[in-house]
Amino acid sequence: MFIKGLITTGTIFLLFSFIRIWVLQDRLPEYLPQPFYQIPTNPINNDTVQLGRLLFYDNILSVNNTVSCASCHSPFNAFAHTDHDLSHGVFDSIGTRNAPGLFNLAWQEEFMWDGAIHHIEAQALAPLHDQREMGSSINDLIEKLQKSDFYKVEFLKVYKDSIINSSRALKALAAFELSLVSFDSKYDKMRGGRASFTAQEKAGYVLFKNHCSRCHKEPLFSSNTYEDNGLPIDSLLNDMGREVVSGRKEDRYKFNVPTLRNLSFTYPYMHDGRFKKLRQVLDHYGTIDNQVLMRNSGIKAPIFLSLDDGADLVSFLLTLNDKSFVFNPDNAFPKKLLPKTKDK
Amino acid sequence: MFFYSSLTCATDKTELVFFLFKDSVISTPIRLSSDDSLSVLRFYISDLQITKNKKVLWKDSVRHRLIDFEKGSFNQKSARILFPLNVLGDHVSFLLGVGEKTAARGIGEGDLDPIKGMYWTWQSGYINFKMEGVSSNSPSRKNKFLLHLGGYKKTLNTNQKVSLSIRNPDINISFDLNKFLYEINFKERHTIMSPCQAAVDLSLLAKACFYVH
Ligand code: HEC
Ligand code: HEC
Repeated sequence: MFIKGLITTGTIFLLFSFIRIWVLQDRLPEYLPQPFYQIPTNPINNDTVQLGRLLFYDNILSVNNTVSCASCHSPFNAFAHTDHDLSHGVFDSIGTRNAPGLFNLAWQEEFMWDGAIHHIEAQALAPLHDQREMGSSINDLIEKLQKSDFYKVEFLKVYKDSIINSSRALKALAAFELSLVSFDSKYDKMRGGRASFTAQEKAGYVLFKNHCSRCHKEPLFSSNTYEDNGLPIDSLLNDMGREVVSGRKEDRYKFNVPTLRNLSFTYPYMHDGRFKKLRQVLDHYGTIDNQVLMRNSGIKAPIFLSLDDGADLVSFLLTLNDKSFVFNPDNAFPKKLLPKTKDK
Repeated sequence: MFFYSSLTCATDKTELVFFLFKDSVISTPIRLSSDDSLSVLRFYISDLQITKNKKVLWKDSVRHRLIDFEKGSFNQKSARILFPLNVLGDHVSFLLGVGEKTAARGIGEGDLDPIKGMYWTWQSGYINFKMEGVSSNSPSRKNKFLLHLGGYKKTLNTNQKVSLSIRNPDINISFDLNKFLYEINFKERHTIMSPCQAAVDLSLLAKACFYVH
């Protein structure tokens, strides 16, 4: 009886793991371009990903143990930050930019609104060291991790020895982030022949291809380029965008084209979070000085959007929401971090 | 001259010595003159090798080394790298910096660990050469100067190949601090914290300051 029970649980467990692997592979449609970074397979059984997940949700990363990566990148907002237009860090400090959603990062070569970060493993150094974000340093973090009995065990599990260093911590964080893959929207189902668009969604899709897809390129809905989409300059922030990194005048006010997937979860919009609603975004594109936009971005046809067009476009954009990604418990706060189980 | 160099021999190895300072006891910051001082001098060298007639005789087994005169080696007064005694080359060469490929990759370990303070955090990439101190010529606050030279992309690449001819089996490489500090126009260039043309210019100057005795 007992043995039989064991065998059944074993089989169920095995089957379950297969399904997970199958589901993961199934999540990657064949119409995707080659990613820049390797996507960890089978995230839930991947120890490195799970270590990264712990770090991502742990306040230990900030100077006074109050802020985690998830404070600004919440799973229920496709890992963006919705309460604030500008990010909010330690000691109630306010940053200068809006926190973008985190998913499909493997297809993004550079990071941040201006592309200042050239490698996913190096990215975490920026919020760690920023006085307005986590106010800490990689040196402090590694020291804290080395003293933590909890992390001693977790690192040992992954690396089979007791070394805790920055490369390991940063690679683990990156692995978790790279495992955040979102390609299960209605749009993806439509492309995979598993769903079809309504008449309005179809009309919106046509408008999208005409006006938007040059910069927000399918299927990632970003072109990984830096563009000026004609937003008026916020004179208080006076964010120069890409010019800060490239030093080139022609890059002034250009920003990394953000993806349009999961927009229902990632509001507010734009690098400074100036728009709370999609409607406002479309109003912007509809009323934009097309001469300026065309000059700055090289787009050929002006964007004219009627009210009906706006509604159609929104209905298309909503097909890019991926609820199964946003509510996937495997990406959520890990129970292991609860005070009961973690060291004091 | 602030430093000279000398050679010590291990039994079957000889040493490649990166500058020895003259004073037997050196405290940080090094005093350059009554008004000038140096508190940090740190740089990467990569792909160190000894060649003869362009053929590689010896290649350092360590790809990237951080030469650090602030901590540790400051007190030892030199960075010593051992290589076999029987290597008799005509040139020693290395890259000043971590190189484009390594810079473009993610986070490294050992000397490449970002806890060494040689990695930019707000904008990624290694700092190839870092010098900080005080100079009466620097018009900045408290006459400080901060030179963080980095950048690896085509137009703003600060990785510089250094190749020096050698005559002896033992190799002493020095960095001419006098020349470096004398040729910088501190009035215009006292603070460099990101890839830029000034960083490229100074990396070329740094390249020209290495010499063999
Ligand atoms: C205080 C809020 C805050 C915290 C804490 C924070 N971030 Fe961010 N994150 C931001 C903001 C704001 C940006 C955009 C920054 C920019 O463009 O300059 C960003 C950008 C990013 C990006 C780039 C995304 C893209 O599409 O380019 C990644 C990846 C990221 N954060 C991961 C992390 C990780 C990992 C942590 C924890 C180590 C973290 N963040 C902590 C606010 C935060
Ligand atoms: C010239 C290139 C370009 C074109 C054409 C373009 N966009 Fe954008 N879009 C951008 C850039 C760049 C940003 C980020 C701007 C910023 O934050 O400063 C952006 C931001 C957005 C955002 C905010 C996303 C977020 O997460 O903050 C939405 C939504 C959006 N665009 C929708 C559209 C739609 C709909 C169209 C077609 C009507 C369109 N875009 C056409 C370049 C473009």
